[in-house]
Amino acid sequence: MKDAPPIIEFVEIHKDYVTEAVVVRALRGVNLTIRKGEFVAIIGQSGSGKSTMMNIIGCLDRPTRGQYILDGIDVGARSNDARAIVRNHLIGFVFQGFNLLPRTTALENVELPLVYRGVAAAERRKRALASLSAVGLGARLHHTPNQLSGGQQQRVAIARALVTQPPLLLADEPTGNLDTRTSYEVLDLLQRLNREQGITIVLVTHERDIADCAGRVVEMRDGSVRRDIVNERPTDAGRALAELPVQDEHGATS
Amino acid sequence: MTAILAAIRLAMRAIVRSKLRSTLTVLGILIGVAAVVIVVALGTGVQQQVVGQISNLGANVIFIFPQSTQTSGVRSSDVNRLTEADGRALVAEATSIANVAPFSSTGAQVIAGDRNAVTQVMGVSRTYFPVRGFSVGKGEMFTESEELLKAKVVIIGETVREKLFGPGDPIGQYVRIGRYPYRVVGLLTPKGQSPFGEDQDDRVLMPIGSFRARVVPSPPGRVQQLIASATDERTVDRAVAQIEAILRQRHGIAPDQDPDFGIRTQAEFRKSSEEIVGTLTVLLSSIAAVSLLVGGIGVMNIMLVSVTERTREIGIRMAIGASAADIMTQFLVEAIVLSVIGGVFGLGIGAGVIKALGGALGWSLQLPIPAVVAAMGTSAVIGIVFGFFPARRAALMDPIVALRQE
Repeated sequence: MKDAPPIIEFVEIHKDYVTEAVVVRALRGVNLTIRKGEFVAIIGQSGSGKSTMMNIIGCLDRPTRGQYILDGIDVGARSNDARAIVRNHLIGFVFQGFNLLPRTTALENVELPLVYRGVAAAERRKRALASLSAVGLGARLHHTPNQLSGGQQQRVAIARALVTQPPLLLADEPTGNLDTRTSYEVLDLLQRLNREQGITIVLVTHERDIADCAGRVVEMRDGSVRRDIVNERPTDAGRALAELPVQDEHGATS
Repeated sequence: MTAILAAIRLAMRAIVRSKLRSTLTVLGILIGVAAVVIVVALGTGVQQQVVGQISNLGANVIFIFPQSTQTSGVRSSDVNRLTEADGRALVAEATSIANVAPFSSTGAQVIAGDRNAVTQVMGVSRTYFPVRGFSVGKGEMFTESEELLKAKVVIIGETVREKLFGPGDPIGQYVRIGRYPYRVVGLLTPKGQSPFGEDQDDRVLMPIGSFRARVVPSPPGRVQQLIASATDERTVDRAVAQIEAILRQRHGIAPDQDPDFGIRTQAEFRKSSEEIVGTLTVLLSSIAAVSLLVGGIGVMNIMLVSVTERTREIGIRMAIGASAADIMTQFLVEAIVLSVIGGVFGLGIGAGVIKALGGALGWSLQLPIPAVVAAMGTSAVIGIVFGFFPARRAALMDPIVALRQE
């Protein structure tokens, strides 16, 4: 993996927020390279700059200074529309709050990124079904998010992130709204996607346990990378799941 | 194409989701479109009605009437200077005039037996009939010798016959006007209303000589009006010029003086009434258009609410790859769909009202095709114009801020 080409390159990234004459320096010269196929956890307290990093990696925000190269493209300098295309083609998003469209079925939620790619309806359906079964959700496809449990919603969200087959999956506190068991289920899923399909995963969290599932942990503090360590023995979420005391299905709802 | 269809489907879903709100918004556009269509249809109907009635006056008709003149600031009271001789001169000298009919009239009581009617009594020549488009339906036209002899004969209109004789046959009966009895020789073919709302069958016609001698005593040859007909519809303007020239000469009026007569043509009547109706239609249409505008503002209002409510949805869509243009399209299409639904229903209701009104008024009102096209186009344009601002607001949202919205 050391020889794999880089997918994310941060070169002296600064991000300043100007609020009422007070400049908040959210990122202060971050240098970071993430290679294809890595599973990286970004960890830090609130205010450490990890969310800002997440937004910049996800092309939702632009750095104030510095260069951000995503999959060989200097995206920091691109227009809003170009970044929308980058988001659609290179990045799959998984959020803490799931961020599924309400009153829209699971299947339609998963199809959505393909709509913005102009994929025909039949093809969309086929790929959405494939993506849903890949995350272990074969049933309840025509249920709306409020009819699904938290774990199921997050699976739908992951299916939506994967349906475009992006090289990079960005997960922002994906287990934040889930109980321990469901959290490990989701982490197990992410680990398998990373292991079996070689998808690069960047996971942002403030929980050490969750971060330990990643192969590399980047610790943020005060807008800088404080530690960047390779986790030689990441927690196997599947095994952790097996070791958890057995719960009835009610535990799966958030 | 599929993208547009998908956008329309998406818009329909959003619209159906908030039924009451959408219905009220659509209602605003609906009323506006219906109002515009109805007003335009009514305007067109009135115009057709008026034009039809004016054509009823007789083709190529030119009215010549006395007009007071002003000399050194003194308005002359001697206004009645038109004579039968003027009429004869016009026929003889003007090449573009086919015929001239003298004409005088007054309101008078007409008595037959124990019945009476107040009607318009007119002194005319035989030429009056073809010029004005009247014909004698029953009985006979008075003869030339009756004209010369100032005979006591009359031709009556249908309305007068009904008032005086009921169902009976009036021909050969006598009517009394003032002190003199007159024999009814003919009955006019019914002609209906004139454009000025006058019942053209409510009249009694007699030779103008008889009229001057017995009904309104006046100097020989004097007439109240001359009615001329041009040789052809296209020669009306030339005929008017000739009349002007000949009468100025006969009355001794210098070219720089105001004439003591006025000339009106049927075309002028038609033009002026068309202008009046047209102005009214424009006025009423503008009022109707204002309601369309208000409806548009309703669309904008509801779209702004919708955008605010769906901020998070916009953020999600942007995060997974929707461009600003995609978001813009989504909301713009929603606004257009709302407006066009209003347009379609407004058109339907407008068509229904037009049909009902046409039936009630006995007019042939038609759904005006240009108004239909304009109303549909306008409702789509309203969707675009009033949807633009809310849609732009949605498109310019910062995805990070939008995603943070609860």
